[in-house]
Amino acid sequence: MNTFARRLLAPFLFLMTAGYAALALAQALPGGPAQPVLTTPHVRAELVAYAPQGVAPGQPLWVGLQIQHQPEWHTYWKNAGDSGLPTEMHWTLPPGIDAGDIDWPVPHKIPVGSLANYGYEGTVLLPVPLTVSPDYRPAPLARSLPVRLQASWLVCRLECIPEEGTFTLDIPLNGSLALSADAFQAAFDARPAPLPDAGAVTVEGDRLQVRLGGLPAEAQGRMLEFFPETGELIRNAAVSGRDWTQSWQGATWTASVPLDPQRAVSPSSLPLVVALAEPRTGEVPRAWRVDAPISGTWPGPAAARAQVSPALQAALAENSAAGGPVAGAPVPTTMPLAGASFALALAGALIGGLLLNLMPCVFPVLAIKVLGIARQAQDHHGHRRAALAYSGGVVLSLLALGAAMLALRAAGAQLGWGFQLQSPAVVAALAALFTLIGLNLAGVFGVGRLAPDAVLNLQARRPLVNDFLSGVLAVVVASPCTAPFMGASLGLAVTLPSAQALLLFAVLGLGLALPYLLAGFVPALARALPRPGPWMETLQRLLAFPMFATVAWLVWVLGQQAGIDGAGALLALLVCLAALVWAFSLAGRARLIIGGAVAAITLAVAGAIGGNIVREAPAAAVASADARWQPWSEGRVAELAAQGRPVFVDFTAAWCVTCQYNKKTVLSDPEVLAEFDAKRVVTLRADWTRRDPAITAALAALGRSGVPVYALHMPGQAPRIMSEILSKNELSAALARL
Amino acid sequence: METGKKDMSTVSSSATRSLRAARRARAALTRASRRAIMTAAVALGATLLAGSPAHAAPAIGQKAPDFVATDTQGQQHRLSDFAGKFVVLEWTNPGCPFVQKHYDSGNMPATQKAAASRGVVWLAINSTERAASDFMQPAAMAAWMQERKGVPTAILMDPDGTIGQAYGARTTPHMYIIDPKGVLVYAGGIDSIASARQEDIKTATNYVNQALAEAFGGKPVSAASTRAYGCSVKYKSS
Repeated sequence: MNTFARRLLAPFLFLMTAGYAALALAQALPGGPAQPVLTTPHVRAELVAYAPQGVAPGQPLWVGLQIQHQPEWHTYWKNAGDSGLPTEMHWTLPPGIDAGDIDWPVPHKIPVGSLANYGYEGTVLLPVPLTVSPDYRPAPLARSLPVRLQASWLVCRLECIPEEGTFTLDIPLNGSLALSADAFQAAFDARPAPLPDAGAVTVEGDRLQVRLGGLPAEAQGRMLEFFPETGELIRNAAVSGRDWTQSWQGATWTASVPLDPQRAVSPSSLPLVVALAEPRTGEVPRAWRVDAPISGTWPGPAAARAQVSPALQAALAENSAAGGPVAGAPVPTTMPLAGASFALALAGALIGGLLLNLMPCVFPVLAIKVLGIARQAQDHHGHRRAALAYSGGVVLSLLALGAAMLALRAAGAQLGWGFQLQSPAVVAALAALFTLIGLNLAGVFGVGRLAPDAVLNLQARRPLVNDFLSGVLAVVVASPCTAPFMGASLGLAVTLPSAQALLLFAVLGLGLALPYLLAGFVPALARALPRPGPWMETLQRLLAFPMFATVAWLVWVLGQQAGIDGAGALLALLVCLAALVWAFSLAGRARLIIGGAVAAITLAVAGAIGGNIVREAPAAAVASADARWQPWSEGRVAELAAQGRPVFVDFTAAWCVTCQYNKKTVLSDPEVLAEFDAKRVVTLRADWTRRDPAITAALAALGRSGVPVYALHMPGQAPRIMSEILSKNELSAALARL
Repeated sequence: METGKKDMSTVSSSATRSLRAARRARAALTRASRRAIMTAAVALGATLLAGSPAHAAPAIGQKAPDFVATDTQGQQHRLSDFAGKFVVLEWTNPGCPFVQKHYDSGNMPATQKAAASRGVVWLAINSTERAASDFMQPAAMAAWMQERKGVPTAILMDPDGTIGQAYGARTTPHMYIIDPKGVLVYAGGIDSIASARQEDIKTATNYVNQALAEAFGGKPVSAASTRAYGCSVKYKSS
């Protein structure tokens, strides 16, 4: 080369390099000082793309934001959970290119104490599909598609930092951009797959029952995690196995998830994602998504009913003093029990049922059964069948009652045990029934002459039906006497899911029927019973009197509900009934004339004063006039608790025998009353004779659904519930602790 | 069924014996022994109650749970002290960017001032645990509030998280409004746009202002339960 050229070479080369650098720089920064990568102290965020066949209509074209988190930091899913914000993206694209929604990979549940969020840790790629319309015309001389993203995210560890960034990227129009192919493939693998069956969600009380079918065979029988896409709906911090349950029935997955008490939405459908809790490495897909329709009635905002706030405050104080975790589990939301505690509850129900046999309201029915066994002492086979029929009657009627209670609970009614005897009509009907039975036992009439032959033969051929029905009767009468075990078991049953609650009722029935079941199967017991003889007739006459005693009690209950007029009317009608029944036991003309006359009189009496039975007594008659026992109200308890006075609340009802027993013995004892005065205890009485919803709610808050309940509220402590049969010593011991 | 072989005397004596036995058996179930059974039963029954759950976050329309707490000046307050007035509970934590959004822009102090002019009691509650990095001592908390010109009735310190857990407070900020009868009428966010950007405040609906305006106008609160957004409350982990 000659010297002239050599002298020009260097500057020429320099100019070429500079020019090329400038060109390259100009190409790399089309709009502004943005790059595809942003690094903050907490994340490294990068805009990536996947275009294996370049940019053309119908070809796959994906962009996405890849976030690499620092250890312990996380960003959020489309439903962030109890707090946090999902990552947001805004795209700037040339006309003809449209960006879809983020195709969220399945998240992780991130518990934060008693709260929970849904999000991502480590590295996550949030892919977004781009659609190229046929009208897309790239700019002249452009060889790439410029993509601009403005993204904002909330990254948290314990503290939260909102961050945002602007990213740009060029996707070559021809050629292939597959540098991040692996990352995109991993994101696609982590996407929830759609299910052909949309599933169903039902609102049941305070919970959602989720039912999904059509999950693939690889997923069946395995634990799943549950992610709702709608926020502010469920209690996100619910722990699997404790607060929410799941189960498989063949190919159908069901779950019971608690609602958030402060939920903000009542949607008609719930898009949700379920994911394998323990996926095997490389398992694809490991999550599925449906948009399930929701049916059922949402629990409405509760009317301004009383809740036991001092108990709550006291329980909170106790919890914080003990330093234990606050359960946060609502009462009375259904909360299934784990194996051991449920077994204990069942054992309690069994023993409670057994003890119920001893209660004064069951005893008369007991008496009838004794008679039955005595009559069939030699008939072992008959014994066994009778025992089974009776047990069947008891268990089935308790299950029916339990099912009715659960149905009413689902319908949101305020209900508690013993509801049958809160209705005067039911009390009157029971009184009539027992009167008839008493008259039959006393020999005033015989069933044989009342019923036509066909029915008689039916009875003879089907004595089992009688046993079954006497089982039903035992349950109907036993209900208001809550023995200690029954009280706790029932309070528990209200909070359990339907299946467990029904099982509890069934076991209770088994306990009630157990003595007769055993007597039927163990011949020794049957043999221990006396042989039939003339004494049986005496016994039969004798057993009429417990029947009449029960009638007297029922009339008294009605008197409490409907006043003296109602009780009087019932008595008059019972007299008419007795006369009627005797008249129909006569024969021939006497029957016609006397029977007709008595029937007419009965109708007249019923028309005249029968209405008194169902009319409610004036409130003054029902409330206690005793100055010592003040009427209970939620506000009063709160007021007294704020003043620092201990409060003793007697939850009672007129039809509850145990309550009356305690009222007349321990609670009227002058020594006990003196102790109340000495400790400045204020005594309140909550009368539940007429199904007061405020009292029902207060009972539920104490974990009970029946009466009696005796609660001693001590300032600064959780309310102490005494035993159902009060004892002086127990009460003194509790008061001594004040 | 009678065999017919027995004579009347045997039958009657066995009958009398069995009747007497029955009477004795019944007598055996005296009050005392029945009580003994019941007491034993109760002891076992009590263990069933032991496992029963504690309490729930109140729902809209339910009674707001009472609480007692000390404020930054060292004075004790109970919710029941303010019976008869509207009370706003604001969960706050100065270290949270969302709280900063509303205080640095002046939005929360303005909402507090508007509430105070109606005679509404405003309790700012900090449930951050002592071990948290952004835990503030009462004096520092009071100074921060004064600097931002906030005018709550009191700033309550709840480092054990008792009040927060009782109300189910999840985020900072999380707002609750209690009516003069002590019933919860609002629970949710301060406004309608969930973001950490101050510029979103002017376009968002301030739910607390709206709810108080409706309540004082005698109308029911239209948006009673809304999305609460923010950082999670830093509860004490147990």
